[in-house]
Amino acid sequence: MGKYLLRRILQMIPVVLGTTLLIYALVFALPGDPVAAMFGDKPVNQAVAAQIRSEYNLDKPFIVQYVLFLKNALTLNFGNTFAGQPVISVIGRAFPVTIKLALMAFVFEGVFGVIFGIIGGLTKGKWSDNIILVLSLLLISVPTFVTGFILQYLFGVKWHLLPATAGANPGFIDLLMPAVVLGSVSMASIIRLTRTEITSNISEDYVRTARAKGMSNRSVIVRHVLRNSLIPVVTYLGADIGGLMGGAMITERIFNIQGVGNTLYQAILRGEGTLVVSIVTILVLIFVITSLLVDLLYAVLDPRIRYA
Amino acid sequence: MKKQSALTIAGAGLCVMALTLGACGGSGGSDSSAKGTNGGSSNAVISVFNPEPANPLIPSMTNEVGGGNPIDVMFSKLVRFDDKGKPVNEIAKQIKANEDNTQYTVTINDGWKFSDGTPVTAQSFTKAWSWASSIANKQLGSSFFANIKGYDDLQKEGTPSDAQLSGLKVIDNKTFTVDLTSPSSTFPIQVGYTAFAPLPESFYKDTKAFGEKPVTVGPYKFQSWEHNKSIKVVKDPAYKGGVKVKNGGVEFRSYTDATAAYRDVQAGNLDVLDTLPASARKTFQTDNTVQAINDPGSVIQMFTIPSYMKHFGQDQEGKLRRQAISMAIDRPTIIKKVLSGTAKEVHDFTAPVIPGYSTSIKGSDVLKYNPSKAKELWAEANKISPWSEGDTFKIAYNADGAHKEIYDAVTNSIKNALGIQAAGNPLPTFSEFRSNVQNRKFTDSAFRSGWQPDYPSPESYLSSNFASSAANGNGSNDGDYKNPEFDGLMDKAASAKSIDEANKIYQQSEELLFRDLPAVPLYYQNSNGVAAKNVQGFSFNWKGVPAYYNISK
Repeated sequence: MGKYLLRRILQMIPVVLGTTLLIYALVFALPGDPVAAMFGDKPVNQAVAAQIRSEYNLDKPFIVQYVLFLKNALTLNFGNTFAGQPVISVIGRAFPVTIKLALMAFVFEGVFGVIFGIIGGLTKGKWSDNIILVLSLLLISVPTFVTGFILQYLFGVKWHLLPATAGANPGFIDLLMPAVVLGSVSMASIIRLTRTEITSNISEDYVRTARAKGMSNRSVIVRHVLRNSLIPVVTYLGADIGGLMGGAMITERIFNIQGVGNTLYQAILRGEGTLVVSIVTILVLIFVITSLLVDLLYAVLDPRIRYA
Repeated sequence: MKKQSALTIAGAGLCVMALTLGACGGSGGSDSSAKGTNGGSSNAVISVFNPEPANPLIPSMTNEVGGGNPIDVMFSKLVRFDDKGKPVNEIAKQIKANEDNTQYTVTINDGWKFSDGTPVTAQSFTKAWSWASSIANKQLGSSFFANIKGYDDLQKEGTPSDAQLSGLKVIDNKTFTVDLTSPSSTFPIQVGYTAFAPLPESFYKDTKAFGEKPVTVGPYKFQSWEHNKSIKVVKDPAYKGGVKVKNGGVEFRSYTDATAAYRDVQAGNLDVLDTLPASARKTFQTDNTVQAINDPGSVIQMFTIPSYMKHFGQDQEGKLRRQAISMAIDRPTIIKKVLSGTAKEVHDFTAPVIPGYSTSIKGSDVLKYNPSKAKELWAEANKISPWSEGDTFKIAYNADGAHKEIYDAVTNSIKNALGIQAAGNPLPTFSEFRSNVQNRKFTDSAFRSGWQPDYPSPESYLSSNFASSAANGNGSNDGDYKNPEFDGLMDKAASAKSIDEANKIYQQSEELLFRDLPAVPLYYQNSNGVAAKNVQGFSFNWKGVPAYYNISK
C-alpha cells in the first residue's frame, strides 16, 4: 500500500511538469501581442511597451520564460498579473469561490443522482422509473447554459425566489441555483449509471443466492446490490470533481461568479501566461489527487481489490 | 473606452480606448426635470455595473472604463464637461493662451483639498503630469503629454522616475505655465481628460498603495476596493466644484458579463447598467421590467481602407473605388434591421454629441445609398486598372466582439450593389486583430475601425485618425492616410483663436476626408443602457457614461 502510494505520488511530478510546459507553450503560441493590446485601439507607446515586456520577461525566448516561471514557482513566487496584483492573491480569491460551488454541485449531483438512480433501478418499468428516465434524458440533452438562463430568469427575475446572480464572496443561497445548474447534467448521468448498474446487478446469481438463503430484502439491496453498483458511480464522481472545478466557466459567467473558470477565461483573453499556467497547474493537481483517492476508495468498496 | 457590449470598439474582454469623463454635466439642465421631486433619498447608494479594473487606480495608468469610471468621479480635473460636452472650469480659475496657442498659463482656484487634507497646488498638477511622462513609471497614458515640452527627454531610457517636464513651470502655489511643442487650441479641452488629474504628495511615497486606495479630490471620495467585488465611493462633503451630487455614493459592482448584470437590473438587484448585452439589443426598449435609454452617443463606427491596399491607393482609381464602396452600403436598412435602431445615421467624421458636429458638410452625399452611381464610379475606376473577377473586397474585424452580423450585412450590400465579390474577414481575437493592424498586415483587406474620443472635440477624431503625424505607427492613423492639405488645416485649427473658430476649420477638413475617404463612416453608435424601475435621473453624458451624480432612488 505504502509503495503504491509513493509510486503514484512520484508519477505526479512528470504529469505536472508536462502539463505546465504544454500550457505555457500554447499560451505563448497564441497570436497577438498582450502588451500592445493593453493600449487598446490607441497607438502603442513603444518605449513604455518595451519596459512592460521586460518587467514580465515577455522579451525573452520561450524556454527562458518557462524556466524562470518554474524557478519562481518553486519558491511559491508566481509573479504579478498585468494589473499589478500578485498571482497568488488572485488565485486565493478565485479558488475558495469555485471550491464552494463545486462542492455544492458535487453533493447535489451525488445525493440526488444516487437516490433517483436507486428508485429508478428498483422500480424498473414502473411509472416512477419512467418519469425519472424522461427527466434525466432531458437534463442530459439540454446544454448547461440553457438550463442556467431559464432557471435564472424564472427564479431570479420573474419570481424573485433566489438571487439572479451570485457576485463575489457568495453565500449558500447565492450559490444554490448555480450549483443545481452546474450539477444537473452530471446528476442525470449518475441517475442513468446507478439505474443501469442496479438493474443488472439485481439479476446476478449472488443476489439470487442471498435471497435463497433467506436474507432480508433490505440487506440484499444495501449490502449486495448497492455496494457493487456504486463502484462505477464513485469513479464517475471522482473524475467529475476536476471537471466541476475547471469546467464551471459557463455557469460562472451566467451567474457572475468570480471563480476559477472566469479568471482563467479572462487570463487567456489577456494572454497572461503565468496566470493561466498557475491556475491550470492547480487544476491538474486536484485532478491527479482526486483520481488517486478514487482508486484508494475502490479497495474499500470492493474487497477483491488490493494494492501492493 | 472599453465596454463589453457587442458593438463597441473594443473586443470583448480586452480593454480598449479612452477613458470616460464621468463626473461631468451641469447641475441644472436635464436633471432638474427628472422625476426627483417625490421620494429619492439623497443618501442612497447607487449600484452600477463595472468591469473589474485592468490596472491600479492611477489616473495615467487607466485606459479602460473599469478603472476609468470610478477614477473620473473621484478626481476633478482643471476643467469638467457639462452635459452638452462643453468644457467648464473646475479646479482651474483660468486657462489663458498666448498669441499662437503654444503657451498656456493656468491659475487654479483656492480652497481645493485632497481627501487627506493636503491642499491642491500648482505642483499637484506639474508633478503628476511629469510622473506620468517618465518612462521609468511605465504609464499607459503617457502619450497624452507628448505635446508638452520636455516629453521626449523623459521618454529616454534611464530617465529617473521623478524627472520633471521642462515645459511645466511653477510660478507660485496657484499658477503654472505649460509650454507646448506645437500650437494647440484644444489644450484647454484635453486637460479635462482623466490622465490630467492632480495627485497629492503622498502618491509619490507609495504609488502601489495609492493604486489600491487612492487619495482623491472630486465629487466622491474613495471608500473601499474589494477585488472582483466592488469599488465603493461616497459623496465628498469637502468637494468644491460645480457638480451637484444627488446620492450618498456609488458602488461600482464587478461583473464579467453584461448579460448577468442585465438580469440583475431586471430583478432589481442592480441600479444601472451602461453596457447593453447583445442578447438584449432587440428587446431592451420594450422590456417593462427596466428603464431603457437609447440616445445619440460619441462613438463613430467606420472601416478603414488602408492606402497600402491594392486598387485603393491615394490616386484617382483609389478615390473612385472608395466612393463607390461607400455609396454601395445601405446604411439605414442596416441600422434598422441589424442594429435594431441602436445607432444613428452617419453624416460626418465626428459624432452628434460633439461640439462642431455637422450634418451638412460638402461631399457628405457619398454616405447616401446610391447603387447606380456606385456602379458608374466603379466602372470608371475599372477603366484605369481593371478589377479582376477573382478579386474579393474584404473587411477584417475581430470575431470576439459580435461584429459578424454587421459586416456580413455591409459586404452583402456592396456585393449586390457593385456586382463584385465582397466578404467579411474575421480574426479570432481583438488582440490578434489589433496586432495585424499595427503591423500593417492588411494589404488586401479593409478593416473595422471605430473611435471613441478622449475629450469632446473634433480634433480628437480627426487629427488622431487622419493626420500624417499619426501615420506610420506614430498614432491611430492606421490606414497611413497622408494629405498635406488636410495636415495644413489641422495646424490652422490648432492655432485658432477660439474653439468655435477651430471647429469651423475642422469641418472644412472633413470635406477633404469625404473626397478621399481614408475610412468609410458606417454609423454613430448610440449610448444605451438600462436602469432599475425605482431609479431616478438616469441619463448619459456626452461620453456615453451615466451621469452618476444625478442618479437617485
